[in-house]
Amino acid sequence: MTLKKCILCLSFIALAIPGTLLGHHSFAVYDHSRTLNLKGKVTMWKWSNPHAYLDIDVQDGADVKHYTLEGTSINMLQRLGWRSNMIKAGDEVKVVFAPLLNGEPAGLLLEITLPSGETKELPVPAANTFKRTPE
Amino acid sequence: MTSYKIIFPLAIVALMSTQPAARAQQASTGVPDITGSWERARDASIPAQPQPPLKPQYMKEYQAKLQALREGNQKGQPIADHVVMCLPDGMPGMMSGPFPMEILQSKGQVTIIQEAYTQVRRILLDREQKPIDDVEPGFYGRSVGHWEGSTLLVDTLGIKENVLYQNVPHSKDMRIKERISLGANGILRDEVTVEDPAVLEKPWMFTFGYRRMQDYQLLEYICEDNREYADDKGVQQIRIPGRD
Repeated sequence: MTLKKCILCLSFIALAIPGTLLGHHSFAVYDHSRTLNLKGKVTMWKWSNPHAYLDIDVQDGADVKHYTLEGTSINMLQRLGWRSNMIKAGDEVKVVFAPLLNGEPAGLLLEITLPSGETKELPVPAANTFKRTPE
Repeated sequence: MTSYKIIFPLAIVALMSTQPAARAQQASTGVPDITGSWERARDASIPAQPQPPLKPQYMKEYQAKLQALREGNQKGQPIADHVVMCLPDGMPGMMSGPFPMEILQSKGQVTIIQEAYTQVRRILLDREQKPIDDVEPGFYGRSVGHWEGSTLLVDTLGIKENVLYQNVPHSKDMRIKERISLGANGILRDEVTVEDPAVLEKPWMFTFGYRRMQDYQLLEYICEDNREYADDKGVQQIRIPGRD
């Protein structure tokens, strides 16, 4: 089986198995009703399990607001072609994320646009349950 | 013939890479070659998993727990489970995927490695199972197995009571029996029978199906940076760096 097919059947499994089994945990702490679309500068791209993390600084008027964004398992990312060197500190990126319900400056990373202009979606289980807010 | 030049080195590589003695033994005994990487597969030959046939008092607790999990998720306050602590699934959860797994057949042992949490279980071949009281409880227990024709029969004892598959309760005396076989359709079947007379009204039977992943090498998985934790109410929270 090719890697592509393997990814395809993983996604079929994704439809068949309850969400809590798929990810590291439940994503219920994140707001499913809206997303934030922000541009910022990467301060850290943490390539680690159970999940990758992206830290960014976002200009907010005269202030800089820092966000911590949770990704998925780096194993899932790697199987889909992501690499640890794809993102580095200093990169200007655009992100789409579901914010934490408790208002902390953190969220679940759903999509990133890299400096090259390439946009990548994260393999978040049940990603379609997160309602996107238009830019 | 140029083909000889090509085929001969290929044959040497093939002989070196396929452990001919082991393969010949497999061929003569009907033991299939299941070494390699596998992933969970949906297939028409794999039946849907039935509800666990729990005794009424345990069914009540189980349903209440599922309801509490649903409500926690709806409120955005999920109840923390073992994965929040970065604890592995144990048996039989590690056989459920969804990450790939690797099977290794060696003399006297079949080893199964689940990519998530780098979980490992060892199935000791042609060994006696110990009495339950002689097996210290753990996440994977003690597995012994033997080939009956082309089917690997496995018996597992000694799973900790806090190691739960899909939140289904069990006693310390739970026994897991498995029949692992490779179908003509290429689907590897693991027919699981959970026996636990103290908790179940009858054995709970379900089947996992797997499809071979050609040329896939398992990746490492270490819980290096777990920012999730359970608060004092048992609710899952996220630790934000700089705000601890």
